[in-house]
Parts: sequence; C-alpha cells; structure tokens
Amino acid sequence: MKHAAENTSKRNWREWQAYQAITPKTIFALLITFVLLSWSAHNTEMDKAAVETGQAVLSAVGIGDSNVLNGVSKFGRQAFPIQFSTRTELSRLEGVDLEYLPWLSYIETGISKEYDMQTDTWTQEKVEYLVEPVGYLKKVLRMMWETIEMGFWGTMISIMISLPLGILAARNYSPHPVVYHLARGWLSFHRSMPELIVALFLVLIYGFGPIAGVLALAIHTSGVLGKFFADEIENAPKGPQMALSSAGANSLKVLRYAVFPHVLPAWIAYIQYIFERNIRTATVLGIVGAGGIGMELKGRWDLFDYDHVATILLIIFITVVVLEAFSQKLRNKTL
Amino acid sequence: MLVFTNVSRIYPDGTQAVKGVSVHLEQGEFCVLLGPSGAGKSTLMNMVNGLVQPTSGKIILDGEPLNKKNLQMIQRSVSMIHQQLYLIPRLSVLHNVLTGILPLAGFWRSMIKSFPFKDQQRACELLSEVGLKEKHLMRRASELSGGQQQRVAIARAFMASPKVVLADEPVASLDPTMSRSVLKSLKKAAQINGATVLCTLHQIDYALEFADRIIALREGEVFFDGAPSEMNSEVQMKLYEIEHEILAQAPQSKPEEAPHLEINIKAVA
Repeated sequence: MKHAAENTSKRNWREWQAYQAITPKTIFALLITFVLLSWSAHNTEMDKAAVETGQAVLSAVGIGDSNVLNGVSKFGRQAFPIQFSTRTELSRLEGVDLEYLPWLSYIETGISKEYDMQTDTWTQEKVEYLVEPVGYLKKVLRMMWETIEMGFWGTMISIMISLPLGILAARNYSPHPVVYHLARGWLSFHRSMPELIVALFLVLIYGFGPIAGVLALAIHTSGVLGKFFADEIENAPKGPQMALSSAGANSLKVLRYAVFPHVLPAWIAYIQYIFERNIRTATVLGIVGAGGIGMELKGRWDLFDYDHVATILLIIFITVVVLEAFSQKLRNKTL
Repeated sequence: MLVFTNVSRIYPDGTQAVKGVSVHLEQGEFCVLLGPSGAGKSTLMNMVNGLVQPTSGKIILDGEPLNKKNLQMIQRSVSMIHQQLYLIPRLSVLHNVLTGILPLAGFWRSMIKSFPFKDQQRACELLSEVGLKEKHLMRRASELSGGQQQRVAIARAFMASPKVVLADEPVASLDPTMSRSVLKSLKKAAQINGATVLCTLHQIDYALEFADRIIALREGEVFFDGAPSEMNSEVQMKLYEIEHEILAQAPQSKPEEAPHLEINIKAVA
C-alpha cells in the first residue's frame, strides 16, 4: 500500500487520476435505486394512479370513460350551486318575532306533502318557512372564526410549553447534560404524537369541543417549536456571549442580551409558520370531534350535503389564502 | 497596581506562550503591548481577566491575588475590548453600552431592559466622551460604521468603572485616521476614569504616539520594557529582525490561534 502511494506521489501531472463523472459504480447505484423506487411506487399504487389520471385526462377531451372523472362530476353536480342560505320551518323555531325578523331574512310559504303508509294517501299541509339567504354562510364563518381562535390558542399554549423546554434543550444553556437530554427527549416525544391521534384521546377525556383541539395542537407543535428554539439558541454567534460572560454576567443575563436579540427574528418566523399551520390543521381536527369547522364539515359530508360542503371548502380556502398573505406582510415587517 | 510575578503559561499542546514575565503596572498607565504574532500578547492579557489560567507565577490586582475564588470579583474590575468587538448587532447602542454593567444590574430589571436613570446617564456620558452623538443612541449597533462600533465597545468597557481595561488590537480593522482617533478616545476615556489600560497593537508608530509605557514581547519573554522615548530604532529593528526570522522558519503551527479558539469555547461553555 505504502509502495503504491509512493508511486502515485511521483507521477507526472499528465498521469494524475482526475475526476470521472460516470463510473460503473454510479450506473449500478442508479439501477438499484430505480428498482427500489419502482417496487415502492407499486406498493403505494402509484402505477394505478398514473393510469387512472391518464384515463381521466383522455376522457375529459372526449376519449373513453373514466371512473375518476365520473366521481368528480358526481360531486360537482351535487355541490353546485353552493349553499349559503338556510330554510327552517317556522313552527320549529322558538321566539321568532315576526315584526323583527333577522337581517335579510323573510318568510316563505310552501306546501309540505306527507305520505301515510297505512291509508296510502297523501296529505298536504301549508307550512311557513323562515329563509335566511346568508344564514348558512354566517354559521360557517362563525365556525371558521372558532377554528382560527383554536389555532391561535394552540400556538399560545405551544409557546408557553416550548419556550422553557427550548432553553433547557439548548446544549449551551442547559443546566446539566441530563436535563438537556430529558428536554430533548420530551420535545421529540411531543413531536412524535400526531394531532389527530392526540385529539381522539383528548375528545374521550374532555368531550367534544375545542378544548381537545387546542390541546392537541399545543402538544404536537410545542415539540416542533421547542426544537427550533433550541437549535436557534445553539447556533447563535458565540462572540457576544463570551464578551458578556467573561465580564461576569450570569448565563440568564447572557441569554437575554446576547442570544435573544439575535434569535428573535427567526423565532417570530417560526411562530408565524406554526400559527398558520395550526389553523390549517384545526380545520381537520373537527373530524374527530375536536371543535372547529371540521365538525360541521364531517356532519355535512356524512349527510351527503355536498352543496354545504362546498361552502365550507370555499371558506377554508379563502381563509388560508388571506392568512398566508397577511403573515407574509407581517414577516416582511419584522425582519 | 497590576503586578505580574514570574508568570508562565504552557498550553496543553505544549506551546509555551508566556515565559516568566514579571511586570509592574501603575494605576492609570496606558501601556501598549508590542510584539510579533504568537509572542504571547493575547495570552498575557487573557490571564488578567481569567480566560486563561497561568501555569505558574502570580498576578496581583490591587493587592488581591488572581485565582478561581475571586474570579467573579476580578471580572467585574477588569473589562475587555475584544478584537472582533462582540457587540450585539440587533441591540441599540445605548443598551450595548449598558451591558457593561450587566453583572451588577438587578436580575428582574435587567430582564425587561430597564436600567436605572443614573446608569443610563453614565452610558450617555461615556458615549459623548468617545465622540458619539445623541442621534446614535437608539440605533442598532449593526447600523454604525466600524469606527463608531469600536467607540461603542470602548464605552461599554468603561461602563462598570473598571480598574483595568484590556484592549486586544482595538484598531486592527480601521484606517489610519480612524485608528488614531479611536486610540485618542480610548486614552481620553482611560484618563477621565483613572483606569489602567493594557493594549496590544501591531503598529509601532501608534504605540510611540499614545503609550505611556511600551512592553515588547518576544517568544513569550519581555524583550523591551520602558517609555516610548527609550524605544529607539535599534530596538525596533531587532523586533522586526526577529519577526523575519520567525517568518523564515517553516510554519509548524500557529501558537496564537489554536489556544485562542480553546479560550472562546471554554468561556462560552
């Protein structure tokens, strides 16, 4: 070996072994990768997805038939026109003052037909309905607001948990290696619990409603946020910290003056991202009964009220877009 | 006032950075440390504020020997101007200066950045002494020019009314005009506050112009010690010759840099 090394060191530069982009080794590695990827794609039915999507595209331009496209058009036919209004039988409502109806609403008279099986006859009855043209929209907006609040409080509680844990999980400010490892472990434990599963358990404990949703969000995202906080503290420039600590300041003061001002913009960006993400996740959490707009979505979906579902989806979409634009503006200001 | 008695330091890698240095500094003296890179200037300075422990010998500050027991007390009466300044970029100039008394400030007050009016006035006084204006007060440190940042660092160093100020190449990255004016500010602040200054420099002409006393180190030993007027061209030539000699030798390791790195890590941890 040594002999060979001596030989190469004496070589003329014309004979130096320069860089080779493609070698048999790379070709072999690429082949193996391709085989593994194909196998995995087949497991996840990616091949079927490609075929069916292709069929859908062909069918959209008039060639052949496609299950996917049929599904889309079935949903589309039922979802449109989307439902903004509510129509309730007046007799079912209590305390409606006919002199002062709610905003924009009016009374509609209709005929209700009922079939009696025993006598095999139809009975007709005049029924009065209270129609609110934007009643359902109002309800959805109210639930969307609840969802945003859930996201907000989930983020707040998440910060309360992750701030102290994040500091303890920063290697250079942890009081002891044991504390450091415990804090890191705790954070990754929080991170490893998906919101939906935590929410399922919390619904059992706290019952249906936003409490379960807020806590589920807080538990999962505090793990993410705490790790970000800790990493950011660890990566802060060491010079200013050394300058203050060598002057005799204790570590909490050093943290306050030499670390916080530096990490603050990054922390704010992380918190904004987590807030945005929490709102998006909160829309889904209602599906397991943890409050927010998802509860309404799930209820309507199970009743096949796709026109109502369409309203909910539209509001979620608009909210997410608006929030994203808003937080982008805020970010530009803080950095 | 600051007395080094036969002080030596050997780093774990075997480098003997300082060999038997004995120096006696008077109160209020502006003392410049000269010498080629790796001569042990930084090591000597870092031993005064406890960043480096002497292997043997004694350092006595105002009658108190320096050791681990009274390290905190020493750190409060010795302040340092680092070569890279180490200001906090996103903090205002005023608060950067106020961090100079952070060790003495009350814990909860300091957590909400509330400093007593008396201390704020002292910070303003120091900033005006080093030539900064009121308009700079609330700017972020990162918005200032290099020379201005250097002045902020000087003001911070004098904030806690230290007995000794250590300045590690305070004008290393400044142009000649700015260097001269910064050194002037440093000397003025030292005179007003009656502090002893130990300052390393690479420019002999600045040393001759500003120093009350020059100590030149060569391979960890005192090579010259006296007033600037005694430092004739022969001594200077010899210092340069030695530098050439060292440069001519094959560079094995950089004794100055490696220990420095170790110091930083230790201090932060």
